[in-house]
Amino acid sequence: MGNAARRATREKIRLQREQERKREQRRRQVTITLSVVGVVVLIVAMVAIWQSTRNRSEGYAGELASISRTAEGDVVMARPGVNAPVLDIYEDFQCPACKMFEETSGDTIKRLAAEGKVKVVYHPIVLFGQEPLRGNSLRASTALRCVPGDRPWMALHDRLFKEQPREGDVGFAVDDLVAWGKEAGVTDADFESCVRGQQGASEQLDYSSRTMQNAKIQGTPTVKLDGKELGDTAFLPGELEKAILEAQPK
Amino acid sequence: MGAPALSIQAVKAYELLPEAVAEIVGYVLPILEIVIGLLLVIGLLTRMAAIATAVLMLAFVIGIASAWARGLNIDCGCFGGGGALPPGQKANYLPEILRDVGFLALAAWVAVKPPGRFALDTALGLAPAADGDQSPYRDDSDADDDPEADEERNREKDD
Repeated sequence: MGNAARRATREKIRLQREQERKREQRRRQVTITLSVVGVVVLIVAMVAIWQSTRNRSEGYAGELASISRTAEGDVVMARPGVNAPVLDIYEDFQCPACKMFEETSGDTIKRLAAEGKVKVVYHPIVLFGQEPLRGNSLRASTALRCVPGDRPWMALHDRLFKEQPREGDVGFAVDDLVAWGKEAGVTDADFESCVRGQQGASEQLDYSSRTMQNAKIQGTPTVKLDGKELGDTAFLPGELEKAILEAQPK
Repeated sequence: MGAPALSIQAVKAYELLPEAVAEIVGYVLPILEIVIGLLLVIGLLTRMAAIATAVLMLAFVIGIASAWARGLNIDCGCFGGGGALPPGQKANYLPEILRDVGFLALAAWVAVKPPGRFALDTALGLAPAADGDQSPYRDDSDADDDPEADEERNREKDD
């Protein structure tokens, strides 16, 4: 009887110890798990914040280098006498990644051109083959052909990206294009009839296929610095600036 | 993980999330994918990481299927490209969906199975097997190659 009671007590103590040990282990597991989760959240947040600083547009609103259309139909933005390095930008107004590119790096490019650090050549092309993407793109780029250059050209160019229709929607209505042009500071009397008539459309299509063939364009935006494709760098204003500054003629 | 603008663009191309949310997802998702991938490779918080992977895969499958159903012609954004495709090229959604379903199955497998011998979880005593009592987990010798299967997937996804 006394023996049995001792055994029962021992058993109880053993069970208590066992439970204690399990509780301790449980506490340890919770501590480690929470710590790791905390570190993960911290790392993700820190890297995300860092990424967002690399992605920030600088918000340039200063003067622009002169902008004019060449005989081939390209649009050059450069200070007089600046011929190198050359930044070629192939873009389509209906292309969402081009809009992203302009929103991210457009201002840095404008500033560097104004500082005489780079000669920028815009190639506004019609990349898409199916409707309504193609029609939207063609109407917009043809309308921009009605603007000879300088600040109104750039203002309308930026506006077109800002007003980009969603994929699958019909957009860039002629009435809108005329209105945006006027708001962009186009004063040319022929502008409205030029946009409404869309006479430049077939020339714009020829120009597009010619450009895509010659420059071997697979997609947009394609951004080339002195003929070399830039890839991700084009979407990182800081790194794009570094690449351009490193390409300065000696 | 290159330019954030591209991952944001890839998220926006699905036209599923409001602008602001798509932007946050565009920043956070690539980083989260890498971190979860690393956790799976080293076997730390394996089960949670596997569940998170499964949830992501499910979200990807839903996203791709809805883009397909709406006739959007986007590059699915799974491999770092952003947005609409060049002329003539049709988005091919089915292989993407099948691939993600496969990864979903792998993730479920990792979540159900206990951490393997070489998992950090085991070393830290986070695995149920380390509990002392001879649980059925103990004799499971092939569990440790699961994180490797997922490592491959994450390598692929992160480029």
